[in-house]
Amino acid sequence: MSLRKQTPSDFLKQIIGRPVVVKLNSGVDYRGVLACLDGYMNIAIEQTEEYVNGQLKNKYGDAFLRGNNDLMGKSTTRKTLTLYSDGFFSFKMFL
Amino acid sequence: MSTDIFRKTYTNTVEEPLDLIRLSLDERIYVKMRNDRELRGRLHAYDQHLNMILGDVEETVTTVEIDEETYEELYKSTKRNIPMLFVRGDGVVLVAPPLRVG
Repeated sequence: MSLRKQTPSDFLKQIIGRPVVVKLNSGVDYRGVLACLDGYMNIAIEQTEEYVNGQLKNKYGDAFLRGNNDLMGKSTTRKTLTLYSDGFFSFKMFL
Repeated sequence: MSTDIFRKTYTNTVEEPLDLIRLSLDERIYVKMRNDRELRGRLHAYDQHLNMILGDVEETVTTVEIDEETYEELYKSTKRNIPMLFVRGDGVVLVAPPLRVG
């Protein structure tokens, strides 16, 4: 995966299917495989686990996280999307 | 515009998260909301804001009371049943199929 310029939709195609951690500003973590994501930052994750301090609940199948926002501007719920790559590098995307 | 609607109903290419919620229509779902609230009910309708109509709903409100002296946390949950409910989308955090215990 390179960091050359690419369109947002190319980027989205690349990250779908990867394991991710989505951290909400409420402090809850959701870990699973990214199923899909849209322009409003709604996220669907498969095999999701929810962590609050310790592990609380397991969700199997799809979990949908609502994107609260405005495409260009700030979100009321800040989400941090951390992608675990094949070991070459990882990066965080602030939503 | 009509081809767009056609695509959204019949496509099996990559879908948006909202398309996947459509698969849960008329099924029971679990909704996690802000302010430590959870809903379990049957999804009758939803829109792009995640406003929803849920039927046969059980709402669980979880509170934590902290004892002044011992500082221990006491978790309480209050449940109520509602036959038909409109949920405003801005309070929704997460939507999933109902949880299995454990």
